[in-house]
Amino acid sequence: MEYTQEMLRELAERIYDLDAEVYAQLGSSLGRVFNRDREGCVKDMVRLMTTRHQGHQLRSELALISNMARTIPNKDARKMIMKEYDRILQEVISLPTSFGEGDILDQRTASLNALNLKNRFSGTDKLIICISRSFGSGGNEIGFMLADSLKMNFYDAEIFSAVLKRLEAEQDAVEDKGRYGYDQDQAYQTPAFGGPSERGLKERIKEFNRYHGLSKRDAVFFNQSDLICDMARQESFIVMGRCADVILTNNRIPHISIYITAPVEQRVNRIMAIQKVEEKKARKMIKETDRRHRHYYEFFTGRKWGASINYDLCLNSAAYGIEGSAEFLRRMIEAGSREAGLSKSSASEKQ
Amino acid sequence: MNRELLLCIPFAGLLLCIAVLPLVKGEWWEKNQPLAVGFWSLLFIVPFAVLYGSGMALETVLECLIGDYLTFIVLLFGLFCVSGNIAMEGDLAGSPRVNVGLLLLGTLLSSWIGTTGASMLMVRPVIKMNSWRKRKSHIMVFFIFLVSNIGGCLTPIGDPPLLMGFMRGVPFFWSLHLLPMLLFNAAVLLFVFYWLDRRAYRKDIAEGCKPDISKPGTEVKILGLHNLVFLVMIVAAVILSGTLPGMEAFQTAEGHVRGIPVYGEVTLTFPALIEIVIILLAAFLSFKTTGQEVRRKNHFTWGAIKEVAVLFVGIFITMQPALMLLKANGASLGITEPWQMFWATGALSSFLDNTPTYLVFLTTAGSLGFSQGLATTLGTVPVVILEAVSCGAVFMGANTYIGNAPNFMVKAISDENGIRMPSFFGYILWSLAFLVPVFVLDMLVFFL
Repeated sequence: MEYTQEMLRELAERIYDLDAEVYAQLGSSLGRVFNRDREGCVKDMVRLMTTRHQGHQLRSELALISNMARTIPNKDARKMIMKEYDRILQEVISLPTSFGEGDILDQRTASLNALNLKNRFSGTDKLIICISRSFGSGGNEIGFMLADSLKMNFYDAEIFSAVLKRLEAEQDAVEDKGRYGYDQDQAYQTPAFGGPSERGLKERIKEFNRYHGLSKRDAVFFNQSDLICDMARQESFIVMGRCADVILTNNRIPHISIYITAPVEQRVNRIMAIQKVEEKKARKMIKETDRRHRHYYEFFTGRKWGASINYDLCLNSAAYGIEGSAEFLRRMIEAGSREAGLSKSSASEKQ
Repeated sequence: MNRELLLCIPFAGLLLCIAVLPLVKGEWWEKNQPLAVGFWSLLFIVPFAVLYGSGMALETVLECLIGDYLTFIVLLFGLFCVSGNIAMEGDLAGSPRVNVGLLLLGTLLSSWIGTTGASMLMVRPVIKMNSWRKRKSHIMVFFIFLVSNIGGCLTPIGDPPLLMGFMRGVPFFWSLHLLPMLLFNAAVLLFVFYWLDRRAYRKDIAEGCKPDISKPGTEVKILGLHNLVFLVMIVAAVILSGTLPGMEAFQTAEGHVRGIPVYGEVTLTFPALIEIVIILLAAFLSFKTTGQEVRRKNHFTWGAIKEVAVLFVGIFITMQPALMLLKANGASLGITEPWQMFWATGALSSFLDNTPTYLVFLTTAGSLGFSQGLATTLGTVPVVILEAVSCGAVFMGANTYIGNAPNFMVKAISDENGIRMPSFFGYILWSLAFLVPVFVLDMLVFFL
C-alpha cells in the first residue's frame, strides 16, 4: 500500500485525539502521553513513522496510551476507546519499516529551513534569523547591520530583560551571559545566567520558590524559550545567540540559523583593537568567553556549539569583513525571500 | 531434598511468567493473570498434597494465606487507599535537584511510616512533578531502590523483617545502628542518581520539553491532607501488631498467641485481627472523608493493587517449598561470617519474602553459640552479624520487582501513569548496574 504524507498525518492526528480522549475520560493530569501542542506532537509522530528504525517508539507510545485507557472507569467509553486503539495499532503495525530512498534530506530540518522558502515556507510564517557567533568575530555587528538593511528587529539583551520582567527577578541578581559584553567587565561575567555565587539560605529558599524548584539559569532559559517562540509567531527578527536556533527547531518554527566565526588570530587582533588590551589578555578573553558560551549551548541543546552540521550556514567573517559579511547574508536572504514572495511581508512589517 | 527442590518449580514458573509474559503476550497476560497464578499455585498444591497429605497441604496454604498474606495485602491496601486520597497540586518542576530532594525525603520517611507508606505517599507527587519530562523511568527505579527499600532500615516500622526482629527481642531503637549504612548507601545512590538524572534532564530540554513555569512563584497545594491522620493510624496498627503478641493478655498458658482457630494449627491471631480492623477502618474513613475529585486528580484506580494482590497470592503460595528448604537447611549452609550473612540474606530476600529469610538467618546466627553480642530470644547474636542480616534483608529487597511489595506497586502505578518502566529483567539489569556495586562497597566497608 502506498502511504502519503496526508495519510500518515491523519493517522498521527487520530493517535493524538485518542490520547486526548483518554485524558478527558480520566480527568487526571497525570500521565498524559502527548502533553504538548497538537501540531507539534502530530509532526513528531509523522516523523517517527517515516524514520527508519523508529517505528517501535511509536508503538511504545501507543502502549502507554492503552495502559491509561484500560483504567477508564466508564465501561462503554473504555470499550469504544479500546476499539479505536486496536484499529490504530493495526495500522501502525502495517506501516513499512522505512520510507527512506537514500536522499540525504532530513525532512524535519528541511521543513524548518526558511532559506528553502520556495517549497517549505508557508507565507504566513515570519522570517527569523538566529545568529550564533564566536567571541571577537564581529557577529553582533554583522547581525545588527543585517537587521538594519533588511529592516527587521534586532534582539540581544532585550529578550533577557523581558524574561526578567516575566520572572519578577531583580536584574542585577542575574547576569546575562547570552550576550557578549564588549567592555572588559561584561566579558568576565560568571557563567551563563548564573546567580551570585554567595547566597544565604533565605535567598536560596526565595529562589527555590520563585523559580519552581529549578535553578535560576534553567528557569530563565525556559522563560526565554517561551518568549522567543511567542515573538516568532508575531514578527520577523534577528536574534543573537540564546540557543534560539534549537528552541525554534524544537517548536517547529521555520528560521535560518547562522554561525559566524573567524580565525583566532583575526579575533585576537580585533579584541586588542577594540578593548585596548594586550595580546595575552585578548587570547584569554576569547578562550574563556567561548568556553562559557559552548558550555551554555551544549547544556541546553545537547548539540556541539559551532559544529557546522548544526547550522544552515557557517560564515568566516574574516573572509568578507563585517560589512561584507552583512552584505553577503543580505543578498542571499533577499534572493531567497524574493523567490518565495516573502520580501514584501518581512520588509513591510517594520515600515 | 530433591522432592522439595522439584516443588520449587511452580515458584520459578510463576516468576518466569511475571518476567516474560508482559513482554511477549502483554494483553493476554493482563487479562489472564489470575489464571496463571491459579495454575502455578495448583501445580504446587496438588503434588504437595499427594506427597504430604491433603491436610498438611491445606494447613500450609492456609497458614501462608492467613498468617502472612492477609496482613500483607491489608496493609498494602490500606496505605494504597489513604495515599490515593492525598493529592498534590502545583507547579514545582521535576529537575535533578528537586528529584534528589524528593528521594531523600522519601528515604528518610520510610523508616517512620514504612517503606510501603512512604512509597505510596510519595509516588504520585514524584510522577506529577516529572510529568513534563520524557525520560523518567530511572527516577522511579531509584525511587524503588531508596524509598521502597533502603530507607526502611532504621526502625521496625520501616520494614517487616525488622519488626520480626523486634518481636524476637531486638530493641526497638537498635536499628538506628544501621544509620551509617543508610547514609552511605543513600549518599552513593543519590550522587549517581543526580548525574543520571541530569543527563536525562539535559536530553529532555534539548528535545524541547519544558515545564509550565509561566506564573511567577511556586504554588503547591496538598488536597486531602487530613488523611495523614489515617496514615498515622495505619502505622500505629503495624506497631501494635509487633508489640501485642508479646503481652501476656494476648498469650495462652503455653505461650502461643491467642486468636481464632481456623484449621489445624492455623490461627488468625488477635493482634493480626486488631491490625486488620484498624487498617480497614482507616481506609474506610479515608474514603468517607475525602471527595472523589481528589482521587480523580490522582488518577486513582484499583488496577495497581489488584495486580499486586493477584500476583502476590501466587508468589506467597508457591514460595512455600523454597522457604521450607531454607528453614531446614539454613543452619547447615556453613554461613558464619557477617559478609556471608549479608549476601545470603540479601540474595534470597531478592526473590523470597524477606521476613522469613531474615528470621532463618537470625535463627542461624543465634544458634552459632556466640557469647558476646545482643541477647535475643533466638540466642546471642553479635551486633555486626545482626547488622549484616538486617541490611541484607532490607536493602536487597530492591534487587527485583518482587523483592518487596512496594516495588511492584510503584511499578504498577508508574505503568498506569505514562511511565515506561523497565521489564522484570530490565529492572534486574538496573540493580546489577547500580545497586550490586553499592552492596559490594557495603561489604568492604562494613562487613569484612
